[in-house]
Amino acid sequence: MRIRSNEYRKRSREIIRGDPAVREAVTGATLAFDRNRKQAYEEVDADAWRRWAEGVKNHVLTHLDDYLAEAEAKLEANGARVHWAADAQEAREIVTTLAEKASVKSIVKGKSMLTEEIGLNSALESVGIRVCETDLGEYILQLLDEPPSHILGPAIHKSLGEVRRLFADRLGTSSEDSPNALAHAARRELRDAFVDADMGISGANFVVAETGTVVLIENEGNIRLATSLPRVHVALAGIEKLLPRMSDVAGFLQLTARAGTGQPTGCFVSLIQGPAAQPGDDGPEEVHVVFVDNGRTAVLEHEHAWEALRCVRCGACLNVCPVYRQTGGHAYGWVYSGPIGSVLDPGLLGLREAMPLPFASTLCGACTDACPVRIPIPELLLRWRQEAQEQGLAPKAEGLALAALAGVASRPALYRLAGSVASRLGATGAGRALPVLREWSGDRAAPQPSRPTFRRLWRDGIE
Amino acid sequence: MKGKSRARDAPGLKGAAAEPRGTQGELGASESPGSAGHSSRHRVLARISRAVARREKRAHPGQLQTPQPPDPVVGFARRFSDSGGRVVTANRERHRGEWLTTFMKGLNLGATVGVAVGTDVPPEMRPNMPEAPPDRAAAGVVLAWGAIAETGSLILEPGGGRAVQLLPPVLFIWVPVGRILGRMEDALLELQTRLPATVALHSGPSKSADIGRTVVTGVHGPGRCIAVLDRTPSSLTPLRALSVRTEAYQHR
Repeated sequence: MRIRSNEYRKRSREIIRGDPAVREAVTGATLAFDRNRKQAYEEVDADAWRRWAEGVKNHVLTHLDDYLAEAEAKLEANGARVHWAADAQEAREIVTTLAEKASVKSIVKGKSMLTEEIGLNSALESVGIRVCETDLGEYILQLLDEPPSHILGPAIHKSLGEVRRLFADRLGTSSEDSPNALAHAARRELRDAFVDADMGISGANFVVAETGTVVLIENEGNIRLATSLPRVHVALAGIEKLLPRMSDVAGFLQLTARAGTGQPTGCFVSLIQGPAAQPGDDGPEEVHVVFVDNGRTAVLEHEHAWEALRCVRCGACLNVCPVYRQTGGHAYGWVYSGPIGSVLDPGLLGLREAMPLPFASTLCGACTDACPVRIPIPELLLRWRQEAQEQGLAPKAEGLALAALAGVASRPALYRLAGSVASRLGATGAGRALPVLREWSGDRAAPQPSRPTFRRLWRDGIE
Repeated sequence: MKGKSRARDAPGLKGAAAEPRGTQGELGASESPGSAGHSSRHRVLARISRAVARREKRAHPGQLQTPQPPDPVVGFARRFSDSGGRVVTANRERHRGEWLTTFMKGLNLGATVGVAVGTDVPPEMRPNMPEAPPDRAAAGVVLAWGAIAETGSLILEPGGGRAVQLLPPVLFIWVPVGRILGRMEDALLELQTRLPATVALHSGPSKSADIGRTVVTGVHGPGRCIAVLDRTPSSLTPLRALSVRTEAYQHR
């Protein structure tokens, strides 16, 4: 996927001014997602679940070499085949070669941000293979030749009217059709693709080291079909997707679903150990798992950013973010957008390529409170800002900083949170990299908020 | 902490289990679809090892204690219904296949009457209706391995056929009540001792809200899911043994 993060400000302006329907659609969808998440968190001891999940992921990330080796050994013992890709090009080559070796003509895909990241579809199409996205949102975007704008709802920036016009044009539906009728028109098209496909491609929500299990969560059933009907299944997994044990899956499935959509679990969960066991059983004859690095080891090496590798791609931080809501994901210029994109992309792409994403935030902290694995996104944003300043990459203060200051000053809660972040980072000097604070503190010593801050005391007191 | 000892038990990078594909010299080029597949494995793992060595190890926090639902059957029925599924109980006094036939005929399943039935559904639980292949059937009938109350999930193993679980627009799932477990973790630990090639957890009908934020059912998988609780004493009989293929996979 082409990286256009450097154009963030220009593209944000274009979207906000030129296509106001995007803001309306994204705001509506993310507010609904977030309402569901809040309610789903309230039904359980969400704080305890999130601390647990953070702990498991930290354990995995500090033993990642061991768990990857264990997962590989188990998967191969189950009859699956494991491949390693250091970068996007190698990942594309591995999948393309597998497809060519198996004489694949047609591929059905489940939603996978990693395959977007590595630009897999165009690589496969360039060797004459038909690739069909089967998630309904991804299918819409494939017809439009657009990238996804949200981790969970790839087409949330599209209104019903736009989909009606698209399907009327491409599938011959009526311009008055209900969402139900439109979805069933897509079902008919895609059913043929599932039956004809020789290969199914998926991502992986988790890979269990102990059992060699690829775990996939979804609601439509398209991933189950794509991993069951074709004779070859290829799962692409970021190297950070490991979980130690099968029993860990229970907590992560439930927490990820609650964080993402507010459901107790996804409607369909696949636990895939390997190819069909017996000759004559349906299910793929070949199962391949591709572990993809593509910048993840660089993030793992980073003193602070490694914590972003806990991410389970639920989208909760996008749904709660007042900045993401204005533009949707396309403005961020790469596959991972919103708060998590702003801390992950500088690590995966390099800070220069990802500028000015670490500045595309009001530091309100809502993302961290929503995050099921408690990634300290505002702190990581400040770290990246500090590095940007040290490398001379930071935007000029009179641009972004003043705009952000205006936003913060007009909202007392944000102002206090910015103070809280500064208090946590004060000793490291990272607070100085925050233009918002620099502007109001000027050359004076930054006012030191009490520790813990009043706001935190107040909040903790009522919880 | 349990986690620390657990991590030590994991195969180390230099351990035999970590090198299932032999050393670099033994690996023929034809075995690796990517031109640099094996060296990438080595490079990626070595880089991870270096990064990990510099960081303080964190222990696994142990098990997540989620509450035990007081009545698994009631809990399952509530969650599954909340997700758009339907739960019915087969009449204990009647032959189960006959009961299902009557029940299915009472629903409007469309003009086509063919039914696809999972190969592992025993004769006494099959409806007395004409059979059809999964891609053409008006309904499917399968047997669940068990169910989970905490999430309202059916546990489906692949032996009876995956297509019949996914392709028909209406799916009837026999659920032995003796195997409705309270917590997902307990179900997974139970499954772990006998993992088949794949296990699917189905928690209601296929859904999407990708068009106009309106929830639509039956986008790809079944649009109607009816869990049929089987309360006969035989509902506690173990299903056929599941197995994982263990011999080395021959790449073609």
